Amino acid sequence: MDDNFNENVVPFFQKSLPLVSSVIVMLLAYLPINFALFNNIRPDFGMMCIYFWMLHRPDLFNLLSVLVLGVVDMLITSALPGATLGAYLMMYVLVFYTRKYFNAKPFIVIWYGFMALSLLTILTKWLLVSVYYSTFLPMSVLIFAYLIGVAVYPLVSIFLAFLQNTFIQDEGL
Amino acid sequence: MKRRRSLFLHLNQLKQMIKKFALVILFLAALLLMVLNKNNSLILENSVAPATGGVAYLVDVLVVPAKLLGKAYDYIDELQKIKKDNRQLRVENRELKVLQNKYKALEIENKLLAELLNFVPLPEAGFVSARVVAEESNAFTHAMVAYVGDNKVDKGDVVLSDDGVVGRVDKIADEYAKIIMLTDINSKIPVIVEKNRVRGILTGDNTNFPKLIFVPLDAEVNIGDRIVTSGVSGVFPAGLPVGQVVAVSKNEIKVKPFASLSKTEYVKIIKYGISGIIKQSENEK
Repeated sequence: MDDNFNENVVPFFQKSLPLVSSVIVMLLAYLPINFALFNNIRPDFGMMCIYFWMLHRPDLFNLLSVLVLGVVDMLITSALPGATLGAYLMMYVLVFYTRKYFNAKPFIVIWYGFMALSLLTILTKWLLVSVYYSTFLPMSVLIFAYLIGVAVYPLVSIFLAFLQNTFIQDEGL
Repeated sequence: MKRRRSLFLHLNQLKQMIKKFALVILFLAALLLMVLNKNNSLILENSVAPATGGVAYLVDVLVVPAKLLGKAYDYIDELQKIKKDNRQLRVENRELKVLQNKYKALEIENKLLAELLNFVPLPEAGFVSARVVAEESNAFTHAMVAYVGDNKVDKGDVVLSDDGVVGRVDKIADEYAKIIMLTDINSKIPVIVEKNRVRGILTGDNTNFPKLIFVPLDAEVNIGDRIVTSGVSGVFPAGLPVGQVVAVSKNEIKVKPFASLSKTEYVKIIKYGISGIIKQSENEK
């Protein structure tokens, strides 16, 4: 029984951890918490998770995971359906083609990378939504949300790195 | 046997093709979702509703530990405020008793005058109290999800907090309701300036301060003026408190909602029996 559990369930848990943890982190962002800093400028945790897992475990986080995150966002929010998915796909593409530059680099470089790529992703979403509504969404809110996201990324990164180091062992996969 | 093998090869080719173009297909799917939403597609709405219920339930479960921590902090914080509030409430209570007497007298007078004019009153409003389980306010949307249980809630029902209008029900998913806040870009509420009955439309722009538009150029609107619903569209009943004018410039008038949208834990979903207007207009489409 124990052998069977170790052989089947543990690898499955490890393989699904990046996606499951990303979904939970995303849902936590929607909790109705009375926190002044997040009022109107909640950062996009889904984007951070995509960036982190695509850089550190691209073997466990693929296009399907991005699709799941995009769909979860669509289900829980009243945001324009498809806009978040489009932005997440953009993040996927950007990380996919640039990740070789972040390989084995210090955290500060990875953080700068997040700064640059998340800006492009947010602007993509902003453009999609603005075109859809035929009006430019307020840039100030967007910039604040972006800055908060950049500031929060190290914390999310520490949490996800902890999960990765604790629960994902390569020999089990 | 040969035919089965060729079918297998075809399927394999199809799989590889999908794998190759997965990214493009997903980008196109995202665009398709936007187009479907633009056309108010019922297919999209109906297929998303049950799944939304499931995801909302997950958030509802996650809320419990987060709320417990928040409650403990609030309890300590509130103890300090209670003494001060008590004193203030005693004074307010005295004033309210005087107002209550005036209100009773006016109610009787109103009833007598309505009878004289053969006035047909609006249907009595019922309400459902609902707990907010998820909240989203960012540059792209301002919305919340509330647990309504088995209570019958309809699209378009008005959502209020203790202080004023919060928004309207946008979608129903099982036992949960998605609520569009009045600050959301999709929110458009017909309102009037209470003081001089100037009409306008309060439209959200995803900031904390929605704009008042379609106000006549010569209308006198000042900072501090109260804004209430006009009831013109037939969806929002007249006279509900919405907000207060906080900025007036040449190009725009900004309104601060009375309801503390980011601090709302419970909402009242009001059923005036006029949300059918939305359904009717959708059927006509």
